[in-house]
Amino acid sequence: MEHLKSAKTILQARGLSKHYGGVVALDAVDLDLREGEVLAIVGDNGAGKSTLVKALTGAIAKTSGKVMIDGQEVRIDGPADAKAAGMETVYQDLALVNEISITKNMFLGREIVKDNLFGKLFGVLDFPKMDAKIQDLFQKLDIRIADIYRDAEAFSGGQRQAVALAKTVMFGKRIAILDEPTAALGVRESKMAMDLVCSLKDHGLSVIMITHNMQHVLNHCDRVIVMRLGKVAAVCDVADVDGDMLVGLITGAIEQKVG
Amino acid sequence: MLNQKSSEFVSVPLAKTSGWQILRYQFMQIWQVLAALLFIYAVFFILSPAFRNVDTLLSIFSQGAILAVLACGTTVVLISGGLDLSVGSIFAVVGVVVGVLIKEYELAYPLAILGALAAGTALGALNGVIQVVTKVPAFIVTLGGLTAYKGLAELLGSGKDLSRFPEGFQMLGSGYLAPICIMLGAALLTGLFLTKTRLGNHAFAIGGNEEVARLSGVKVARSRIYYYMIGGMFAATAAILEVSKLNFAQSSRGVSYELFAIAAVVIGGTSLFGGRGSVGKTIIGMLIMQTIIVGLAYLGVGTSFQRIAIGTIIILAVYWDVWRRQAR
Repeated sequence: MEHLKSAKTILQARGLSKHYGGVVALDAVDLDLREGEVLAIVGDNGAGKSTLVKALTGAIAKTSGKVMIDGQEVRIDGPADAKAAGMETVYQDLALVNEISITKNMFLGREIVKDNLFGKLFGVLDFPKMDAKIQDLFQKLDIRIADIYRDAEAFSGGQRQAVALAKTVMFGKRIAILDEPTAALGVRESKMAMDLVCSLKDHGLSVIMITHNMQHVLNHCDRVIVMRLGKVAAVCDVADVDGDMLVGLITGAIEQKVG
Repeated sequence: MLNQKSSEFVSVPLAKTSGWQILRYQFMQIWQVLAALLFIYAVFFILSPAFRNVDTLLSIFSQGAILAVLACGTTVVLISGGLDLSVGSIFAVVGVVVGVLIKEYELAYPLAILGALAAGTALGALNGVIQVVTKVPAFIVTLGGLTAYKGLAELLGSGKDLSRFPEGFQMLGSGYLAPICIMLGAALLTGLFLTKTRLGNHAFAIGGNEEVARLSGVKVARSRIYYYMIGGMFAATAAILEVSKLNFAQSSRGVSYELFAIAAVVIGGTSLFGGRGSVGKTIIGMLIMQTIIVGLAYLGVGTSFQRIAIGTIIILAVYWDVWRRQAR
């Protein structure tokens, strides 16, 4: 892990806060993501993990705080800004539209139009080109879904998650942010999804991943942020912690440890 | 369908999707309503000897044509998860507008048609903009529009004799051929829009899951306004057809047309909850409705009972949609 400590910081968040009326869901959170690492975010239910990710990616309007990429501050007012800045997010339960095909889901919001006047004028979609791109990518990632013209709801949880993760490879220029990629998956599917998450690294992506699974943190992640009551309780190198320690930090049995 | 769900990533070998597969898939989506239409037609065919001729068949098509054009727009709005109760009143406004433009301003009728289409599209846009800006639900905004646009039509048309239009204009809606061609043209355009274009595809995504669409970077608010504009434009087209057919314009036209349009869409199997549907289904839904109306008339059943029959079928169609959703 030594190389990571010297790796440059790609994404920085400073003082991210989110207030809902008088309720503080996120309280001045700092976050650093280093190039090429998998950073886990852990914490109890309601600790602010999802809120942190949503504030970071513009899915909700943050109350205060700033986000920097390569040391430059970027304005993120909505999901489109985050995408333009190179962040691709897989939200829990909000990854795919059930009613439309895999192809349409993969390219939703970023469709390829036909390369002619007609196509540009009316936004006529180039389905063969999109299909071909998906088939190439699925082959590369070893995702075996052939019937990509079928509606997303026809597929299993694992397959749907695979599609959502493939989307981050297709469009994520630098950063993939995953909210519980293995939630609601069986053991076998869970392993396959984690293999995919690990392969994101090989595709040049730095990864932030919310998870409840301590084994996944210990086996697949480089560093871990522990959240408690809307604050960062600890930031550790995974090499320095074990499962018991993480659980202690999450529940508050072990006091603050930042470093 | 459930047994097709695989619990693993590995489900089927990687293969190119053939055009034939897609065609078959689309047929699978539509065969049930098509079968229902043929069944209903066959029942009347057997019961009523007078029903058994080509003229009856053509009149089913041509009488349904005006509402079918209107329903093309309703299809787009419902797929996107919206609702437009005001299209019947837009229909009334546009009918008066095209009449006034031709009779009072003495515009050449092609120009009057363009003006009327623009008026309908603008009223549709207003529906969309009000919803997007105020976040008031579609039901309320377009219910307001239903009343307000009706008032507008009365203001524009009161005390005017809007009848006896130029011969060229009268051709549009008269006879069988022209209305049927315009209906098929409208359906084709809507079908191409929904299946081939980016904006059309976004209607399914927004109607299916607005939040996912928003998080994926789809410009939801702007798209919604476009869908209501399309709804208004097809309402205008239908109104122009009817003024041409009747050879007069009146602000009292179009009453409860929005409900018949929604009925056609829903009977065809497009979901009232958004995300699913097609314009082909809507045309079949309209034909089912017209077949029942014409067929019952041939059997000597009065309009009151026809209405009861149509109302019952609407509820059954939505029940079927609800039931299918729960079965998933």
